[in-house]
Amino acid sequence: MIRIATAQIWVHDQEEALAFYTQKLGFEVRADVTLPELGDFRWLTVGPPGQEDVSVVLMAIPGPPVMDAETAEQVRTLMGKGFAGTVFLTTDDCRASYEELRARGVEFTETPEERPYGIDAGFRDPSGNTFRLTQLAEELVSA
Amino acid sequence: MAFVPPVRHLLRAKDLADRRYADAIAVDDLARVAGLSRAHFSREFRRAFGESPHAYLLTRRLERAAALLRTTDRTVAEICFAVGLASVGSFTSSFTRAFGLSPTRYRAAFPPARAHAFVPACVWRAYGRPQHSTNGEDGGPAPA
Repeated sequence: MIRIATAQIWVHDQEEALAFYTQKLGFEVRADVTLPELGDFRWLTVGPPGQEDVSVVLMAIPGPPVMDAETAEQVRTLMGKGFAGTVFLTTDDCRASYEELRARGVEFTETPEERPYGIDAGFRDPSGNTFRLTQLAEELVSA
Repeated sequence: MAFVPPVRHLLRAKDLADRRYADAIAVDDLARVAGLSRAHFSREFRRAFGESPHAYLLTRRLERAAALLRTTDRTVAEICFAVGLASVGSFTSSFTRAFGLSPTRYRAAFPPARAHAFVPACVWRAYGRPQHSTNGEDGGPAPA
């Protein structure tokens, strides 16, 4: 059986991302390892408490020789424009999660709204990556 | 309005400990969320969950610290602060009392964090490749 274990998103600054994902979003650090033999490459993963087998890699945009300067700049630009990636989260209570995250300083781009598929809201991480926070309609959850 | 059983307020305090252990919260903050005075809250919490709120918050932090010792290569001091504790000395003694090993020895009893981290082969390939330097030996332009 194939399962999703880890997906990667680019971040502008790993420390800033770490603070956001743990302190504001409430995720846990799953791995934080720096490898001197890979030019101090830092493998930093986070995930939601209670969902131990799924994590997100917070990946710094590398320089040469991994990525040439022009490509790195393109990735940075796309990220800043909000087109570098999206994470779709689900919650059992979108309005409560919205209030909780907002109280912790998450800036929402969309407040909770009724949709055909449930209720959802949207926010961004400090790098500009898009998040959707969805409470699926009951008929979709039980399906 | 629906009747809310009193224990629901205690659970709210317990949830706060689970969610905010990384911040500098203390029993007073938990009591406030439950809407009870500190002494009353501690008594009721212990009655409901079998341990004091102080013990619950501390062991939640120690559990997270143990995970960080196993899965990261951060220093003991960094981990202490990351789980919301301010004194490395008291962290070390609480940890040792709870796990029977000091943080450093606890970490040494497990495989190094990098063995858990599963840094994938594509990362090793991409990041392990040395920067190419041209000294003319491959026919490329020699450095000025």
